[in-house]
Amino acid sequence: MASRLAVSPVVHGLVWQPWDDVYIVYQPSSTETHVFNETTALILKCLEQGPLAIEGIKDWAEAALGVAHGELATADFAFATARLQELGLIECLDETAAPE
Amino acid sequence: MIVGDLSLRELGKQLGAAGLAIQFGPFNLTIRSNLESFASLAHRLYEPYPLPGPGEIADFHVGIASPRGLRRWVRRQASFTLDGQSPFAPYTVEHAFPALEWGINWCVATRAHHLLMLHSAGIERNGLAMLFPASPGDGKSTLCTALIHSGWRLMSDEFGLVRPEDGMLLPLPRLIPLKNESIDVIRRFRPEAIIGPAFLGTRKGTVAHVRPPAESIRRAQEAARPRWFVFPRWIANAPLALEPMPKSRAFLMVATNAFNYEVLDETAFRLVAEMVRTSDCYSLSYSDLDEAVAALDELSNAVDG
Amino acid sequence: MARVASATRRAQRLLLDALRTPENLPALPPADWELLLRVARRVRLLGRIESDLSRAGLLENLPVRAAAHLRAARNVIEHRKTLVAWEVNRILWAIKGLDVPLILLKGTGYLLAGLPPSRGRIFADVDLLIPEERIGQVEQRLVERGWFKTEIDPYDDRYYRVWMHEIPPLRHQERGTEIDIHHRLLPKTSHLRSDPMPLFAAARPLADPRLCVLAPVDMLLHSLVHLFLEGDPDEGLRLRDLVDVHDLLCHFGQEPGFWAALGPRARALGFTRPLFYGLQHAQRLFATPVPPDVLQELADAAPPWPIRQLMNWLIRLALLPGHPDHPSRGAAVARWLLYLRSHWLRMPPRLLTKHLSHKAWLRLRGYRKHIDLAQLDLKQQ
Repeated sequence: MASRLAVSPVVHGLVWQPWDDVYIVYQPSSTETHVFNETTALILKCLEQGPLAIEGIKDWAEAALGVAHGELATADFAFATARLQELGLIECLDETAAPE
Repeated sequence: MIVGDLSLRELGKQLGAAGLAIQFGPFNLTIRSNLESFASLAHRLYEPYPLPGPGEIADFHVGIASPRGLRRWVRRQASFTLDGQSPFAPYTVEHAFPALEWGINWCVATRAHHLLMLHSAGIERNGLAMLFPASPGDGKSTLCTALIHSGWRLMSDEFGLVRPEDGMLLPLPRLIPLKNESIDVIRRFRPEAIIGPAFLGTRKGTVAHVRPPAESIRRAQEAARPRWFVFPRWIANAPLALEPMPKSRAFLMVATNAFNYEVLDETAFRLVAEMVRTSDCYSLSYSDLDEAVAALDELSNAVDG
Repeated sequence: MARVASATRRAQRLLLDALRTPENLPALPPADWELLLRVARRVRLLGRIESDLSRAGLLENLPVRAAAHLRAARNVIEHRKTLVAWEVNRILWAIKGLDVPLILLKGTGYLLAGLPPSRGRIFADVDLLIPEERIGQVEQRLVERGWFKTEIDPYDDRYYRVWMHEIPPLRHQERGTEIDIHHRLLPKTSHLRSDPMPLFAAARPLADPRLCVLAPVDMLLHSLVHLFLEGDPDEGLRLRDLVDVHDLLCHFGQEPGFWAALGPRARALGFTRPLFYGLQHAQRLFATPVPPDVLQELADAAPPWPIRQLMNWLIRLALLPGHPDHPSRGAAVARWLLYLRSHWLRMPPRLLTKHLSHKAWLRLRGYRKHIDLAQLDLKQQ
């Protein structure tokens, strides 16, 4: 039932500058500069491999970080994915309207 | 030729007619004014600035003049003009000089989008530049003025002009407007510094202009390589502290304070990222100017060794 | 007076020559470059000149300072283009699933349809045309997804909604681009008819079928309506808009059937006068190729001879910038007269008096836009 998410084509133009514990990311399509934490960066990396629902992204991220299943908070993922949709970096594949 | 080669009469005549052509770093200006008080101040404070050669294009046409007509008799005012238009409400005539100086900065900030314009003071030694990105009220002008009277060259008090082609910093050594207490601080620190009259009650409080050392003005076409970002803060009675700053934080402070980071799109991102990558970044808190100058000299000496 | 007249002529000659024969610009003496840069900036055509020179491969042969000003103009333009295109992308995201026809107007349309006027042109806002009965839905979606209605005083809000052809602008919380949503090309109060239905029926889809632009003849007529009826008392008629008209005529003039459809469509929509004046002035200033029979067919749309002469004189005065150091009083009066006329055509007299006196009242109160040193001032470009 959960809607599947996919990266939008503009993701491929992003310019990444990792510094300290964050990524400074330039988005040419919007001319915006973002500061992403590890979770946000992981969501994008995960979705670049193919569309997934939010639970699937979380499982992937936990495996990638080597932490126990269920250790990452779902709320963080929901927030980050909503924000990434707003920025036009990921999109919802369902025909219905984008989530609030 | 420099402004000082003109007599006060000649200068006044030029200001009142086709305008005084003058060069500030990368920019040629034509300044017109019908105010005598302005002419005598310009003659004194602009003295070492060069005049552009014949046949050079003027980048900005600015003016500071009393409007004609009735209003002139009621209250003496001065309007800043750019290309014959007045973008701001008139100033009282006593503030004509700071109004023009500020207006010229406004021209640069709103028009020179062929360059990346950081909001930052900058100084240079041995070809390497140290930048002090601004947060208002942190006393970058005071620190910068102290340093350029202690062996450093002034790049600019307000603009970090970065050339997109090679990332070099271009000088714009204009007069430095000191505000309020800073004026006396510098008078005590270097009594020989050349400081213009204090203008009371301007939109920014009391303002007085420091004329940069002649050497800085003479070398206004010599670019420098950015090497340090220092984020200064003056705190009363604080001990000196010069600490490394995380690069991500330095990047954000430089980018968010710039005049046109947004306009230059990816070029700006790449330039700022490159500058921050290749520069050492520090935060500095200080209360004593001598201590601060010594600590920053130390950074420069360490590179020499 | 004679000095002003000759300074004005020199400034206008430099500008028109630069637009018509950019290939001669590398030979321009520095003093002429200096004046040309000032005049072209005033009418926002620096970017156009840059684009012409870039296309001809001549940017390398210019005085360094002239090249710097042109580069600055280009940087701002490129930035604004990206912002406008991105705003449209975000609007499509916000209204996903609504199935509303979005017609992109003016610069937004030129840009996304890849039409010649988008070259070297500065873009301020996103302009959309949407059926009036769907506006509420679209507005609501945008507000739910991070846009807000820009703050305007209650008089202006009412003025917009009751009398105008658009709703008060919307802007996203994190971005600066304004969205103007129109439901017709002219205010409801206008003396000229402006039923939008035929426009929707004729609109052409872009590569992304969720977006449309007006049909070629409608697009041209709209650019003329915009030129003649949306002036500004200080700026006069925007020469930049007449350049759009010139570009559209050169481009669509190649399409079969364009010229034959133009006159009848102007008649059907009630836009024959703007078309008449627009074709005449484009031809005079930019030597735009216009088939003679098109002008002949419009002859009956022209006003009687003395009015036509007066209008031609006023329009030319209001279109062309003067010398920045030698302003002409006549041009200022012409700009004001044409501004009054454009309002006259848009509003019935009683409403007009009310509107203009309200504007004057705002001016008397000293209402002034706050200017920030760091703010990007589009008028400076």
